[in-house]
Amino acid sequence: MSDIASTPSTLHPRLRRTFGGFAHGWNRIGRQTQFYGLTLRSIGTAVVHYRAEIIRLVAQMSLGTGALALIGGTVVVVGFLTLSVGALIAVQGYNQLSGVGVEALTGFVSAYINVRIIAPATAGIALAATIGAGATAQLGAMRISEEIDALEVIGIRSVAYLASTRVLTGVIVVVPLYCIAALMAFLAARLGTIMLYGQSSGVYDHYFDTFLIPGDLLWSFVQTIAVAIVVMLIHTYYGYTASGGPAGVGEAVGRAVRASLVSTIFVLLLVSLAVYGQSGNFHLAS
Amino acid sequence: MDLQSLAMKPLRGVGGFYAMALDTVVAIPRRPFAWREFFLQCWFIARVSVLPALLLAVPFTVLTAFTLNVLLVDFGAADAAGTGAGIAMAQLGPVVTVLVVAGAGATAICADLGARTIREELDALRVMGINPVQSLVVPRVLAASLVAVLLSAMVSLATLVGSFFFSVFVQGVTPGYYVAGLTVLTGSKDVFVLLLKAGLFGLAAGLIGCYKGISVGGGPAGVGNAVNETVVYAFLALYMINLLVTAGQFGVG
Repeated sequence: MSDIASTPSTLHPRLRRTFGGFAHGWNRIGRQTQFYGLTLRSIGTAVVHYRAEIIRLVAQMSLGTGALALIGGTVVVVGFLTLSVGALIAVQGYNQLSGVGVEALTGFVSAYINVRIIAPATAGIALAATIGAGATAQLGAMRISEEIDALEVIGIRSVAYLASTRVLTGVIVVVPLYCIAALMAFLAARLGTIMLYGQSSGVYDHYFDTFLIPGDLLWSFVQTIAVAIVVMLIHTYYGYTASGGPAGVGEAVGRAVRASLVSTIFVLLLVSLAVYGQSGNFHLAS
Repeated sequence: MDLQSLAMKPLRGVGGFYAMALDTVVAIPRRPFAWREFFLQCWFIARVSVLPALLLAVPFTVLTAFTLNVLLVDFGAADAAGTGAGIAMAQLGPVVTVLVVAGAGATAICADLGARTIREELDALRVMGINPVQSLVVPRVLAASLVAVLLSAMVSLATLVGSFFFSVFVQGVTPGYYVAGLTVLTGSKDVFVLLLKAGLFGLAAGLIGCYKGISVGGGPAGVGNAVNETVVYAFLALYMINLLVTAGQFGVG
């Protein structure tokens, strides 16, 4: 409000505001794209020159920092989230299927839904919440206390040093994390169905093994890596461009989380439409 | 000594959270109720979460409808697409609501309150004899709960409409069969549970966001970390609530 009052009045203020906002939005998209391009291009530089920083970040991201490290870090958060979703599959799947008398197929639901939707989505979301939001908070704090400008002054390429290393580290860290996520989801669904609902493990394992397509599991790795790249790009951008003091950092983290949640789902959707196609790559008879 | 204080830190956080939650519950019936703040917060939370809610619900729906319908078409049971959509609404709707409430609502609350804490506005309120829990936390928590319930209704609608369009126009399911199949496995009880879940999500996310917001310290890095922790804790709590309420709904064993 105050900056509107302090600027001099202009001709056609409403028109200017409307189109100015429109142009501003376009410019922001352009700047974001430019930043993403620069970040991805600088990954080579980061690998060559900032290897120590990458290794330091791998350690930091997999275990988390501050209060998050105390509860076990990213690994525990991702494991816990996928564990609870896997258990949800057991509860929902078993009950809904027994509603139509085919509760034997719970193993199939776990093998199908877990791999295609639940595990990649949950892993992507957990990644955005832990590693991504942490990166935004760190970079934002650096920007506010003018550490990023200091880096530039002493001749370090800040995008390569801060953003590219984080994107690369996100991809490195997400692979073992996703292994844990998928295992937890499968384990929770199996234990829930067998221990809580008393289905015989042979029935569960039979349908699970029959319908688990190893190729799909590999594709879900591809999905998760794509999600990781997008999430880390978005989070580093919002952190790198944070402004407005301490409040601005909080604001930037919130905005980055919203943007990355939405784009996570979009990436999953697009990749799975591209991979499975209209036919679904699903062989009932196999 | 250092190790001990390190080990006590999470416990102290949990204790502080419960203390603030109790304070909030006690302060809810106390007059004067901050109506103005309540409506402003409802508007604020709704404003930050409506767009993410729609942008999350529609692709998630299409993804689910796509995955389920591929399966149903292979079974030769494409007409049951509506049943699948009903289940997806009742079971995945809350998950989308969790994402929106924790990822958009709670982060916005935490960033806003954290900024006020850093600027020492809360201390100023205390000096003036105004209880910040009563004047700031209560309206935010109640607003988060209300908006979460309203959002979950919107997410459910978006889910059903989105999967209707995807099933009927892309995958060629008969519209009549789709509508008829909706209520086979999903009834009004599921809808009530869905709304109850959403209310609980809003309550928990609001409390977590407020607690992290008013206990911010340590400059810009502190606010950023507080929002980061808000997202993580809100996700953990909300997934847990979702699982527990669902298990309670169906019964275990």
